Amino acid sequence: MKSLRFCLLACAPVALIATAPAGPIQLTSSVMVEKIAMVNGHEQTVLKAPKPVFPGDHLLFQTDYKNTGATAADHFVVTNPVPASVAYAGESTAGAEMSVDGGKNYGQLSALRVKTPDGQSRPARPEDVTNLRWTLATIAPGTSGSLKYRGMVK
Amino acid sequence: MTRASHRLGAVSLLVLAGLAATPAYAAGTASGTSITNTVTVNYSVASAAQTPVTASTTFAVDRKINLTVAEIGSTTTSVVTGQLAAATAFTVTNLSNAPLDFNLSAVNGAATHGGTDNFDVSNFKYYLDTDASGTFNAGDTQVTFLDELAADVSKTVFVVADVPSGRVANDVAGVFLTATGREGGSAGGTVGAALTNNSGTANTLMGVETVFADTASANGDGATNAAFTAGDDYTVMVALSAVKTSTVISDPFNNTTNPKMIPGATVEYCIALTNNTAVGSGFDATGLTLSDVLPVATTLVSGSIKKDGAVNGSGVCSGGTAVTDAVGYTSGTRTVSSAMADVLGGAKAALIFRVTIN
Repeated sequence: MKSLRFCLLACAPVALIATAPAGPIQLTSSVMVEKIAMVNGHEQTVLKAPKPVFPGDHLLFQTDYKNTGATAADHFVVTNPVPASVAYAGESTAGAEMSVDGGKNYGQLSALRVKTPDGQSRPARPEDVTNLRWTLATIAPGTSGSLKYRGMVK
Repeated sequence: MTRASHRLGAVSLLVLAGLAATPAYAAGTASGTSITNTVTVNYSVASAAQTPVTASTTFAVDRKINLTVAEIGSTTTSVVTGQLAAATAFTVTNLSNAPLDFNLSAVNGAATHGGTDNFDVSNFKYYLDTDASGTFNAGDTQVTFLDELAADVSKTVFVVADVPSGRVANDVAGVFLTATGREGGSAGGTVGAALTNNSGTANTLMGVETVFADTASANGDGATNAAFTAGDDYTVMVALSAVKTSTVISDPFNNTTNPKMIPGATVEYCIALTNNTAVGSGFDATGLTLSDVLPVATTLVSGSIKKDGAVNGSGVCSGGTAVTDAVGYTSGTRTVSSAMADVLGGAKAALIFRVTIN
């Protein structure tokens, strides 16, 4: 069964746009929190603006990009460290590569391994992911897109 | 709850498996911790690398208030009438993601372990298990509240109260301990200020909001009030109990082999006393005198009275100090009687005598 997602009243993505205003690439970062709400008499999972946010909450991190320039942007590499208090929980936008070693090496999660405390190694799990990376070959002028992933507050 | 997503790539299977196996975190990330998601874009235009662009979002983890209180063990606390400073033990656990003080409040109430509450204890005091012995003793410190209980920490609290005199065996006094979360942040002094539940009010990204998430518990405690209650009770025990047994020692025909209770048989009677309070309880039975009237149609075996005998785990009596007939027997009333030495907590003692069947 699909879970419907509604944006409730005050849920404009919360964003802080950092500097680099002169370039053609517009970047917006936002986060939303999954909450259970009563919609039409039964429980639904909805996305809301953060706060309050507690340990165990499921977050959706989203980055929106737009090429506002006149020329194409090539070799567009988006790197996104997973915040320290967040456990990566999957559902990243297609094309993501993951790192479990702080961004030194990237690959598909199924191919990555981590060391166990006793010196052995085991397949990496989602919660081991430390960084995400998307590489887009070209962004034509005027086009935009979204890159997302889910995480859980530790 | 299933999450359907329309844009999963090759990693989907493993990712969903990860979603199902959510790790079991306890209180979790401390309130006030910043979570910052930063994205950096490196790109080129016509093969020339451009200045990277970044964007980020920051917010602070809020404070979720949750706690439990539970009695230690699952049985009543046995007490004697008039006992002072009788202790019941509880744990208080801070499940919030922040350190808190906890107010402590004990009240009389319904019985917790069956029985019907029919008296009240008084003079409630609270002690920490300072020497970690698991038992309330002189090594423990009295407190008025729990100070700076860290996230995910559980503390043992003894609730100590006085049992009134005049109570009889099987009287029950139920007690309930309520712990209420209060502001933490500075050790010692008095208990912190009351917490305020902010749920539903406007939130700021970097502010730390407090939301109550505790569940309803015992004695009418409701959910989301930053408090939790658990119950226990005191039951008055029979401090000193006596059991009388008899054993046929011999008869004129079978002697000591399978003797029968027939005229001429010798029968030994034992009155076994048990002090039911705990070993080392200090509740010694003192000033004891035991008396028993000989059964009809029997005659005391002269010189058979023994006091302060031993009683084994199966209730068999033996030994004891001889008491002369002159001291221990009143023929007019056919009564065997003797003073007994003090019987200490957990101890037993016996009064033994023999008769012949007329």
